[in-house]
Amino acid sequence: MTSPADFVHVRTPLWQELSRKLAADGPLWKLPPAEISRTAALYRAVSTDLMRARTLGCTRDVIAYLDALTAQAHNALYAASRSDRRLRLVELALDFPRAFRRAWPFMLASGVLFWLPFALGWFGTLHFNGFAERVLPTSTLEGMVDAYSTGFNNGRDLNTDAGMTGFYVYNNIGIAFRCFATGILFGLGSIFFLVYNGLVTGTVFGYVQLSGHAQNILTFTCGHSPFELTAIVISGGAGLRMGYALLGTSGRTRTASLRAVADDLISLILGAAFFLSIAAIVEGWWSPSSLPMPVKWAFAGLMSLLVPAFLLLFGRRERAPAPPVGRLT
Amino acid sequence: MSTAALSQARPRAKGAASGDEAGQLLDTRASIETPEHVLLSYHLAGPIRRGLAWGIDTLVRGLVLVGFGMLLGLSSALGGDHLAGLKSGLGLLLFFLLEWGYFVLCDMLMSGRSVGKKVLGLRVVSAQGLPVGLGDSLLRNLLRSADFLPLGYVLGVVCMLFDARFRRLGDLVAGTLVIYEPRVAWRAPPKLTPPPSQAELQWLPARVVLSASEREAIELFMLRMHELPQARADELGDILALPLAKRFRLRYAHPARFLGLLYHCHIQGGR
Repeated sequence: MTSPADFVHVRTPLWQELSRKLAADGPLWKLPPAEISRTAALYRAVSTDLMRARTLGCTRDVIAYLDALTAQAHNALYAASRSDRRLRLVELALDFPRAFRRAWPFMLASGVLFWLPFALGWFGTLHFNGFAERVLPTSTLEGMVDAYSTGFNNGRDLNTDAGMTGFYVYNNIGIAFRCFATGILFGLGSIFFLVYNGLVTGTVFGYVQLSGHAQNILTFTCGHSPFELTAIVISGGAGLRMGYALLGTSGRTRTASLRAVADDLISLILGAAFFLSIAAIVEGWWSPSSLPMPVKWAFAGLMSLLVPAFLLLFGRRERAPAPPVGRLT
Repeated sequence: MSTAALSQARPRAKGAASGDEAGQLLDTRASIETPEHVLLSYHLAGPIRRGLAWGIDTLVRGLVLVGFGMLLGLSSALGGDHLAGLKSGLGLLLFFLLEWGYFVLCDMLMSGRSVGKKVLGLRVVSAQGLPVGLGDSLLRNLLRSADFLPLGYVLGVVCMLFDARFRRLGDLVAGTLVIYEPRVAWRAPPKLTPPPSQAELQWLPARVVLSASEREAIELFMLRMHELPQARADELGDILALPLAKRFRLRYAHPARFLGLLYHCHIQGGR
């Protein structure tokens, strides 16, 4: 029988070799093939050594060292993922509308939770005195009126455009992400953000209309709204989907139920972020431009058709699975 | 459920100290079985260490922002203010990326570690012990805004304290764990000094059989005893040595020497 001391003495060079290979810390697939095979062989050897060390009764330190080394090698070796990026993009583009349709009841609920307060805010501001002032501070409302009082017939200088694009990315995508993430609280956070944002947006529209600049604000917002408001509704819907996974577990544990919808949530939130990026660019550069009003409205009409068409129709037909790429057959 | 099954499921308090049963102990460890059927055990990272790592990451992001701000200030001082809009736009874009993208980018570039996690030896892994993927990293980091509620990650910490694997909300949704990878170097097994004399070896039984936990206890005692005052070392040594002396029908003068001799004999596989 080997003594633990001899065992450690004989095997140490192998362990150190694996340790050195892993310490390089670069992704393993960048190494030459022979090196990768060698690492895999060393990993198997060290896996066996870990079990032998446990049965031989090596010192606690040695076992802890081998445990950590095996775990590190396991982590590095099984990290392999597909490297065909182009295919992934097509998949992402297909997964987004499919996930949207799978979660349709939540999207519908989210739409209602956003658009109903929106309509309420607009209607209330127009017909009830002092309604808007209860929703938002007067200074904010006056600021909005100022922003839309001059219109954009002369455009806006490019410098301000760039600054505002940054603001739209920071503010709007942040709102959408929060609207999604707080859905984990049984959907309550998403409901709050949807209702709140709907009410505030509707109130601003109503207030600006009251002050006589309805045409300015509508012409400004028509271009990016199809993307921006749809993305907010999708984020909220994804949040509701996540919150509902905690309640309607269909026999799974709550964590397993969350994991089951995780892939759809990723598709939805990536899609919403993509829509919001488009919206930020449109809102920063196109909406405040001096283009004539009919052009802007034609663009808005086109987008209002394309966005729902994409979400409802794209990727409806399942294609035959493509032969695996980059795999030996 | 029968009583036999019940008693099996209960963690055994006595004689369960060997490594194979680590999964049954109430401990901050998680076991993962690899495809090679090797059981790996991971240290799970607790709220304090993770909080410290987050503090470092916040500091790093703050420094990046301050550096960028100084660069902008310098350019304004030298070149005038005519690009103020563009600069504030870039600043906000950077702020957005640092808030929502920093951790995802770090996870992808450093296989599950941010700067703070790297300093404190932490790593994000999937439930199978593999590096976290882009989608799951995105989920766990977006959920930070829920874990942060109402202030300073209170919800996240409460959630961690109620979970056996220290998972915050983001970890639950993304199916990830945060593990602690201590940098371990092993010490040489303890040596008996001075080496056993012929008389001492004659005095010992021909074969010393120790259980794994007994051997480990002696080993840990021998590694530590030089840091202890003599009286305390004797006191602790007696706790270990008395039952062993009874078993081997021996009488000893110094517990530390006696334990050392037993250990030496056991390791050598005989005298």
